[in-house]
Amino acid sequence: MKHFLSISITSFVFSFSLWIFWSYFLMQVDMSPSWDGSLIYLPHAARVLCVVYFGYKSIPALYCAEILGPLTIYSAVPDPQMLFLAMLSVLSVPFALFLLTAIGFSLGNTRESPLNKRNYRHVALITIISAMLNALGVNLVLSFFEVNYFQELVDVAQVTRFLVGDILGSATVFLVLAVAFRPLLRKNV
Amino acid sequence: MKQFISDIADALSMLGSLQKDLSINDFKPNELKVFYTIIGSENQTGEPCNISDVVTNSGMSRSTVYKTLKKLVAINIIQLEQSVLDKREFLIKLN
Repeated sequence: MKHFLSISITSFVFSFSLWIFWSYFLMQVDMSPSWDGSLIYLPHAARVLCVVYFGYKSIPALYCAEILGPLTIYSAVPDPQMLFLAMLSVLSVPFALFLLTAIGFSLGNTRESPLNKRNYRHVALITIISAMLNALGVNLVLSFFEVNYFQELVDVAQVTRFLVGDILGSATVFLVLAVAFRPLLRKNV
Repeated sequence: MKQFISDIADALSMLGSLQKDLSINDFKPNELKVFYTIIGSENQTGEPCNISDVVTNSGMSRSTVYKTLKKLVAINIIQLEQSVLDKREFLIKLN
């Protein structure tokens, strides 16, 4: 229970902070939303890092952060479709891990592990696959429901923007964390 | 709590491997400042910067910048090339 609580608080604070930071600094240009900001979607890093390192227990907290982010910034009460899309986005990382496990790349933390969570290249692979699943899944559902919050029709450019945004956003967060934790890592590594 | 700390240690280890491959894991503050100044300058102009640019933009003394650049060359982060336009000036290229 204590472990679940620590994981939930950490995941929620991390994901929520990234969402607020992304929305406030990258989405708002002169206080008007710009979808170009989604080319660097920072919160995907929280999904990847929390699910990879804390496991499936972090999913409820990540989901809450995805919903409370828009609620805090835009006072937007999410509709059923948005609730479903947020769940789909959070689940993109467990789906990616499930796919990789199914083809024999199970997650571990040793050098012998087919998918080593201590190796950033393996985390990058999980990021890319989950970004692909997220881009395809979310836009497929948007087309299916015939709703699109971004423009009139879901097109290839939007799917690409989701994919590139998740990958670039995650890479940005990983690099910033790597630089920010330098003093700590110098002692540990 | 033990499990939580172990999870965080795994995450830090991943960041450590990223730092190692970026060769920024043993940078000192001065070296980082010079490194970021070079990247920032290149990003702004789209061309390799010279040593005088780094001195001006970093606010550090010329001798400190020289010493730092020498270390960055030694660990293969950058290379210095003589400018074609001004033979007294060296251009800094990122590897």
